[in-house]
Amino acid sequence: MADEPSSTLDRRKFLAVLGVTGGSAAVLSGCSTDRVEKLIPYLVQSEDQVPGIATIYASTCTECASGCGLHVRTREGRAVKLEGNPEHPVNQGTLCARGQAGIQGLYHPSRVRSPRQRQTDGSFKDISWDEAIALLAAKLTAAQGKVAVISGAGRGTYRDLLGAWTAALGGKLVDYEPFDHESVRAANRQIFGLDQLPAHDFAKARYIVSFGADFLETWLSPTENQRGFAASHGYIDGAMARHVAFGPRLNLTAMNADQWHVARPGTEGAIALAMANVILAERTTGPADSNGLKNLLASWTPEQATQISGVPTEIIRRAARDFASAGPSLAVAGGIGSQHRKATELCAAVNVLNYVAGNVGRTVLFGAELQSGDGYGALVEMTTAMAAGQYQVAIVHEANPAYATPKSGHFADKFQKVPFKVALSLFPTDTAALCDLVLPIHHALERWDDLRPRKGITSLMQPVMEPVFGTLAAGDILLKLSKKAGGPLASFNAASWEAHLKQSWAGFAKAQGNGDADGFWRAALARGGVFGPAPVTPVKLAAGALQLAYPAAALDGAEGADSFTLSAYPTSMLYDGRGANRPWLREMSDPVTKITWQSWVEIHPDAANRMDVQDGEILTVTSPHGSIEAPAYLYGGLHPDVVAIPLGLGSNRTFDGRGTNGINALDLLNGEPTGGYLAYTSTRVTLAKTGKFQAIAKTEGTPRQLGRGLSDSMTLTQAKKGMTPSLAAAETEHHPEVEVNTEAEHAALRGFRSAQDEKIKLGAYAEDHPKWGMSIDLSRCTGCSACVAACYAENNIPVVGEAEVLRGREMTWIRIERYWEGGDDGEPLEARFLPMMCQHCGNAPCEPVCPVYAAYHTADGLNGQVYNRCVGTRYCSNNCPYKVRYFNWFAYNKTAFPEPLNLQLNPDVTVRARGVMEKCTFCVQRIRGAQNTARLEDRPLADGDVITACAQACPSSAIIFGNVKDSTSRIAASSRDRRGYHVFEDINVRPSVTYLARVIDRAEA
Amino acid sequence: MRKLAYLAAGTIVLTLVATVTLHRDPAAQQTAATVNDSITAPRLGASDTAALKGPRQPIFFRHDIHAGQYKIQCQYCHYTVAVSSEPGIPSLQTCMGCHSIIAGSDSSAKAEIRKLRTLADSATKTHDRVTVQWVRVHTLARHAHFPHMRHIKAMGPSACFTCHGEVSRMPQVFKVNNINNMGFCITCHIERKVTRDCTACHY
Repeated sequence: MADEPSSTLDRRKFLAVLGVTGGSAAVLSGCSTDRVEKLIPYLVQSEDQVPGIATIYASTCTECASGCGLHVRTREGRAVKLEGNPEHPVNQGTLCARGQAGIQGLYHPSRVRSPRQRQTDGSFKDISWDEAIALLAAKLTAAQGKVAVISGAGRGTYRDLLGAWTAALGGKLVDYEPFDHESVRAANRQIFGLDQLPAHDFAKARYIVSFGADFLETWLSPTENQRGFAASHGYIDGAMARHVAFGPRLNLTAMNADQWHVARPGTEGAIALAMANVILAERTTGPADSNGLKNLLASWTPEQATQISGVPTEIIRRAARDFASAGPSLAVAGGIGSQHRKATELCAAVNVLNYVAGNVGRTVLFGAELQSGDGYGALVEMTTAMAAGQYQVAIVHEANPAYATPKSGHFADKFQKVPFKVALSLFPTDTAALCDLVLPIHHALERWDDLRPRKGITSLMQPVMEPVFGTLAAGDILLKLSKKAGGPLASFNAASWEAHLKQSWAGFAKAQGNGDADGFWRAALARGGVFGPAPVTPVKLAAGALQLAYPAAALDGAEGADSFTLSAYPTSMLYDGRGANRPWLREMSDPVTKITWQSWVEIHPDAANRMDVQDGEILTVTSPHGSIEAPAYLYGGLHPDVVAIPLGLGSNRTFDGRGTNGINALDLLNGEPTGGYLAYTSTRVTLAKTGKFQAIAKTEGTPRQLGRGLSDSMTLTQAKKGMTPSLAAAETEHHPEVEVNTEAEHAALRGFRSAQDEKIKLGAYAEDHPKWGMSIDLSRCTGCSACVAACYAENNIPVVGEAEVLRGREMTWIRIERYWEGGDDGEPLEARFLPMMCQHCGNAPCEPVCPVYAAYHTADGLNGQVYNRCVGTRYCSNNCPYKVRYFNWFAYNKTAFPEPLNLQLNPDVTVRARGVMEKCTFCVQRIRGAQNTARLEDRPLADGDVITACAQACPSSAIIFGNVKDSTSRIAASSRDRRGYHVFEDINVRPSVTYLARVIDRAEA
Repeated sequence: MRKLAYLAAGTIVLTLVATVTLHRDPAAQQTAATVNDSITAPRLGASDTAALKGPRQPIFFRHDIHAGQYKIQCQYCHYTVAVSSEPGIPSLQTCMGCHSIIAGSDSSAKAEIRKLRTLADSATKTHDRVTVQWVRVHTLARHAHFPHMRHIKAMGPSACFTCHGEVSRMPQVFKVNNINNMGFCITCHIERKVTRDCTACHY
């Protein structure tokens, strides 16, 4: 058997994504002990590092605009895992999958390692920093103010410096963020006269309506939203908030709704207006100034909304009444996937709805001013000026507009009209590839920086380790340029970027009334920043509110039988394309479709039937602006008139042109800005069959539960009655309990059980040990997959690549299973999630079949797996009813972590070699670590001392881990919950994982 | 288990300001390891070293002089053994704590200490900093985890000898016990009636 994935072509493709250019992978494991190893001591001891013990630094995530706080776990001077900062008000200790994968950006092999200059033949040559700075300084001086800067930096001291620096040069700066939610801001300007993004308190809302806003995926502040959503929508003591979603696509957010109502694309605003109308018409009191709206809204009847959107009148009326009576409730709109040409009008309608229901100031909190860019319109304005030859030098900081804007906008052509272009970038992005000079900058974990994601929060970043490559902090580049160029830049004379930042923080300390600038800085650094409440802006209706209208959204391309409305939507893994080169995010399946690595085109089964399209059939999708080819994925969670394509792939990320796989859905869109934003749902497309097929790399087995009782659910009424999942199922399905076992079989089972009870009196099993258990509340789990990312990071799980996923050989120790319910005969299509990992069965079927005693039961209730014993018979996997054991088909310890990605590996966990079976260990390294610490401190383990990586990361706090024998522990309480059940309870394997059935608050008559 | 550290400046290894006193966790301040009787370490010339057991090290560091003759406690250099799974390899700064004053009693010792000083001096440079690369004598297989601190906690500060042999009498350290022979671990665990669970060490 070869030591690498079987097909060389596939391996090359796999490595291309990782961006490896030659070089061998690291050898990290193996039990050979005759190899000569070196012990290399420090020259000077670092006071922060104790070898063998993690040092944790507070920092800030830069993977999206939300600005979550991080705790960076470092070991022996290198970052090994990112976790949420519990003190940070945005994410409060949790972190999404994208944020956790940020560490793969730090160690990514394709990072630019030194300054590179374009040669006359178009190739790039490495140059020294001195040369690069001298070159750019000369160009800046010669440009005489004709300098354009496109910045992807968030709000903070660096952005302030860059702004002042650009202004001193006489240049122009545009803040560019691909997913900028301009429509939300424009609508707030129109309705409330406030040009800002408010914060949203999902935790307080008792009724949540989403009009296509994917607030659990990419909308504004997803981790914070999810935390709040789980707090209100999770079932606690007979109560939960109801969540209703309207929209053309069943996205992850809608999958977590109690009800999803399919609406024609571009019509959600009509529903919002009709709901506002019903509320105002039926209610005698309301905000005083809303009466002016009453007449305006009167024409927006639910009947008319039904005609436009296709959502039944009764549903709209009922939603309106419940929305008004829930108090406070929350309606959200403005998701990227539903950003059509009337997105501003949609958000305006939702603003009015929130206003008349009295939510503004309660769940919609103005004053927070979430950070945002200048919008797509400002970028287009700048590129038009570039095309007109108005700029001599263009600087792009940490942005990739050449990828993130539609080809029909011709960014690349216009950008190339600028004589000298510079990219400050981590990666050789599509935009960097167009530039004349590429300056590699520090990753957020390598530099000093701060970020102000919203009012009241200033979050700090600090270098947690030596830079991986020969990069510089972007702030230092600006200061070095200023020193070299002089002239208008002479005033930027701070000794270093760090000195500049500290100086600006001294001013900040003074503004906060703190005289001790150094103490202020140190305290902020330890905590992760300065966190205060956001100011509250009083809100009333602006004059623009009376210009409320909702005309139909225009679409490019002809209406016709074979044409569809295209929805180009963001996924929670790839975001704006930033996730596309992170191996974890590519291999962790999309939460909705369970597809890994590839691009796909979602098409409704009815339309597919009509066109005789099969799953995996490659379709040509053509719009007036371009065409792409991708395999079809038949998806019932769509409006039949819609095809949907995920954003984020199809980027050409490397200079050698190999690029990554997948297609870019933006190629089909119109690059003309609509009201300052890019309309992601703006074209009609036609589909053509190519006759070719592609196997889709999905990680799902069977998409339906087939009555197996895997992911149980019950209605709110049933939960309130205290029903168990099996009782609820019996009531719902009207199936009488069927007794399958005969009396003789029962007797045998009793005998078997008592024999087992004898065994646990033997040896170490008789001693007093904890019994580790886990519970997962499915009414909180949203399927977001943050736990999966945490497991990858904690447990050194290899990424196997597309070809091996197609063979079903992915290695995710914890996976999120997604099952569909309903969808036929007019029943609504619903999704169920089930995080599945080793159940650590008390009566584990894997254990007795292992011929070498590698799978065995520990005295503290774990299903142990001893790698050095395992000989790879795979009997255990064959005998596992949950299919949670994963086999190392190849020497992933040598191939899956190309340098320097190997620096991320957790030194507490063995990197498994070829031929070894592996699986979830309940993070045994964390258990043993906590036990060691407790023993050192002469105390017993306390509840909460051991938190598994998945439980730690979960933004919904759905996972609880602990000692079941400790009756006061959270896990013991959770295991006693009436909603608790075990998957495959009837096969008597006695799992240690208890699932709590999901509760669905359907509108019942 | 977590230790939230306050960060002063750039955190990493070679860049910090030279501070001679080591930061120590209070838990590390345990009873000192006692070496029962001071020995007189033999004088060894360059020609004698060929006969010594164990791998040749880049600097001929004599445990028998430091731990044997001068009775320096093991934990003075292996400073994290009581708090961490890793025993800690002393930084050259630790060596220089004494050797900035002590130059050695004979020419061969002086030569070795000069090597040390040259390396330690490189800490003041901005680049080309080099440190010593000791040849590792005891390498535990990567699929096993050995928490040093629990063994020191249970068996006291002199427990080092149990596995590593009488290092204080070794001019050059060599392997006395095969620490990768699991029977060696298990025998002791059985005698002491402590855990024999596989996942105590293998994970």
